[in-house]
Formats: sequence, structure tokens, C-alpha cells
Amino acid sequence: MSLNLDTEDDFYLEENRFKQCCAEFIKHSQQIGDGWEWKSIKDFPDGYMSKTHFQMKNGNTPSIFKDSTKENDEQTFTHVEEALDDSQASEICATSEVIRYEYHVLYSSSYQVPVLYFRACFLDGRPLTLDEIWEGVHECYRARLLEGPWDTITQQEHPLLGQPFFVLHPCRTNEFMAPVLANSQRENRNINYVTSWLSIVGPVVGLNLPLSYAKLVSEQNTKTD
Amino acid sequence: MTDDKDVLRDVWFGRIPTCFTLYQDEITEREAEPYYLLLPRISYLTLVTDKVKKHFQKVMRQEDVTEIWFEYEGTPLKWHFPIGLLFDLHASNTALPWNITVHFKNFPEKDLLHCTSKDVIEAHFMACVKEADALKHKSQVINEMQKKDHKQLWMGLQNDHYHLIPGSNLEIPANLPASPNNKFDQFWAINRKLMEYPPEDSGFRYIPFRIYQVTTERPFIQKLFRPVATNGQLNTLGDLLKEVYPAAITPEDGEKKNQVMVHGIEPMLETPVQWLSEHMSYPDNFLHISIIPQPTD
Repeated sequence: MSLNLDTEDDFYLEENRFKQCCAEFIKHSQQIGDGWEWKSIKDFPDGYMSKTHFQMKNGNTPSIFKDSTKENDEQTFTHVEEALDDSQASEICATSEVIRYEYHVLYSSSYQVPVLYFRACFLDGRPLTLDEIWEGVHECYRARLLEGPWDTITQQEHPLLGQPFFVLHPCRTNEFMAPVLANSQRENRNINYVTSWLSIVGPVVGLNLPLSYAKLVSEQNTKTD
Repeated sequence: MTDDKDVLRDVWFGRIPTCFTLYQDEITEREAEPYYLLLPRISYLTLVTDKVKKHFQKVMRQEDVTEIWFEYEGTPLKWHFPIGLLFDLHASNTALPWNITVHFKNFPEKDLLHCTSKDVIEAHFMACVKEADALKHKSQVINEMQKKDHKQLWMGLQNDHYHLIPGSNLEIPANLPASPNNKFDQFWAINRKLMEYPPEDSGFRYIPFRIYQVTTERPFIQKLFRPVATNGQLNTLGDLLKEVYPAAITPEDGEKKNQVMVHGIEPMLETPVQWLSEHMSYPDNFLHISIIPQPTD
């Protein structure tokens, strides 16, 4: 795996390598139906990874959505609104309790690391505040948020879409990624930077990664051993 | 020839005459008069409009007032963009004063960031300063500074004292004494460190810049760009545009379609970007460049 190492402390992720990591990540996501996609920006070489998932306020996934991760999320949204007139509506106590979460992984050329943008809204379009999003995050991760080497999460403008999102600030990503990368170098093992990074920051904001992502990379390692 | 330091002062003291009018559908107890203000180009809307808020709230009931937001000709104005950038981008070729509409209801959640306190503005400003230094110095200079130095940068943006012209509600900035206590000197005492570079280099590592256009969904273009080419020559504004946004440059035999504007002027495309970065950045240390249609008059 090629990294730009200016000094032994600098583990920068170069942009093309970022795109490669995302491609590998998405390939696995497609295999397990985890819903991640690559979105391109018209007329530019830029893009980002995106995942949308629905959850009820109590944390359950409504069953009508369980097969929907393979569809594009526009279709899923309409599917929801139609279904609510059916008998399946009884499973969803009120439309106001279904929340649509969106997660985007972008590349920051200033810090040369990936950045996680996220937002959530109710089906009627009303956005959730940061506090409301926290209510959906497990207690143990809230502690990690407070202890982690990152500044508090703030609302910022999405640099490609121009809409308000919440962001985990990237300026200290190197701090928590350095030991991960140093370890992998020491053990002569390949890792997917994006997978490792997302497995650390994701749960803090309600995004979980199935373990099979890690197994994928270790399979790649055993193949080259 | 203008001294380089004069450029710093011209940028710092730039003002835009603005007329604030309350949105017609806001519920008022009596007629709301428009409010005139000279806005500092280098500051942020929500930082300098306390008096505007107070003025309109005087004619409204408390219960009809939620978060203030501003709009120009139907477009919600992003408070997190510096005022000078907003003006250049939306209204630079229109007649003064700049007419801004004030709203206290129906905050456009999909378009604007919330600004619930001055702390939010400070956090945004400092995040930009830090990002600029990540580009210029791999964050070494900003990280070596103490918290009080960071605070001093922010304090430099706080409101100068204004004088009210008697008999009107027109405010103008007070003449600032040429003393080391004024905001400009306070700010630059710290900011000059962010503008330095090692003597063996010819400039910063990368130039902090953003290019804006109203016509795209994408808010800005930002890419890694070095101030010095591999052959040692200083890269110019023209070189930057050619690499990052070639559509902005007029072809040799073509008609000029766009203006490339910073702080209300069109710098010559031959200007070295290193010089522009040192002298025409906003206080957040970014060069905010607007691409706007060439006016046809």
C-alpha cells in the first residue's frame, strides 16, 4: 500500500489512494448488501461514498426497508411513503418516528484524510438536531465521542453539495490513524485506510461496519503472504 | 507605487453600504423602517448585524421572532461566507446600496447553517484559519501558537466602534487612532506569523484559495496548488485558473465572459499567487475568488 510519508509521523492518504480504498470498500459493500455507493460530481473528477439508511426512533429497522438497500435511495423514499397507507403502517407507529440517515465519506485535500459528513431527517423533511441524533447513538459511543482526539462535531456546509451537514472535524485524524498505520507497517500487513478509519469514527455517529470488511482485508493479506 | 502594507489596510477597511429591509410577510406591530449600515467586507453577517436585529425586533412581538436570516433577491445569504465574498458574488455589478432582506421566520434548513451564537462564528472562523495553515505550513505555525494568540485573531474581527450620524440611523466606522491598540494592528501582530515561510522556500507549501460561482450547486472549488513551479518560477493567478478552472479564462481570440474578482477588484492575471495570498487573503487566511459574468454595459 503506498502512503506518502513525509516524516515518520505523517501518514497522509493521497487522493488517488483514497479513491482506490473506496472502490475496494464499495465492492465489498455490494457483496454483502451494505448499501454504500460512489457518487460523482458532474463535470468534475471529484466524488464521495454515500450510504442512506432508515431507522425508527427506537433503533429498529422497519422490515419494509430490509430489502431496500439494493435499490437506489430515491426509490426507497417513495416506497416508504406509499407503504405507509398499507397495513404495514401499523409497524410504523407514526411517520414522524422514521428517521433517514445519510453518511458521506469525502476526501479533504487540505488535511489529506477522509472526512465523515452526516445528517438525519424525519420523513416529512424536518432535519434532526445534533442532540436528536445523539439520542440514537449507544451510550458507550457517547463516551468515546467525548474522549476521542477530535474536536466537537459541528454543522458545516457540504463542500460538494452545498447543504448543511454535521462533520467530524478532520484536523486530528492523523493522531488516531497513525498507530493503526504504524502497526500495519510493522506487521507487514495491508490495510484499507478508509475501512480502518470508518470503523473508528462511524460508531460514534451511529454508523456501524459489519466485521466482514475486516475479514476482506485480511484475506487479501493471506493471499499475498 | 503603492506600498504592500497599504494593500493590507485597504483590504481590512473595505466597506459595503447596505440597506436592510424587513421581509414584507413578517408580522409587525407598526411599520418597520429600513436600516442602513456600512458592512465590513472582511467580517460575517451574523457578527455585525446585532443593531439590525434590535432595530426590527422593536416593531415585532417576541413570539414572532425566531432565528434571523438574510436574503438577497430570493437567495438565502450564507452567513459563513465573508460579507465581501457574498457581495462580489451576488451584487457587485448592481447599484449601491446593497439591498438585503431580513427574515425572522421560516429558517431555510436546507440552505443555511444555523448560527445560534457568536461562538459558532468563532468556531467556523478558526476552523478556516487552521485549514489555511494546514495548507501553508502543515499546521506547524498555528499549532505552535498559544490559545491566546488564536483568541487575538478572532478579537481582531470584533466590532470596531461606530459613530452614528446625528439625525439618521446611518452608522460609519469611527476613525481609528494610529495606535497599536486598534483592531488591524492587533490582528496582524499574530497573522504576520501565518504569512511567513522558511527562507529557503519561495513561498507557502500550498496556497489556501476557494473559487466561487453562483451558477453551480457545488459551493466552491478548492484544490492543492503550489505557489512555485518546478522550474522555480512564481505561479500566477492565471496559472492557478488554468489548472483549476480553465473555463474562467478568456481564450486568446475570444470575448471576455467572466470577471475574476477578489475584494471587489479584478487583479491582473499575471499577479503571483504567493503575493495575492499574503496581501489579499481574508482574515481567515483564504483567498476567496469570485467568478462572475462580465457586465454588459
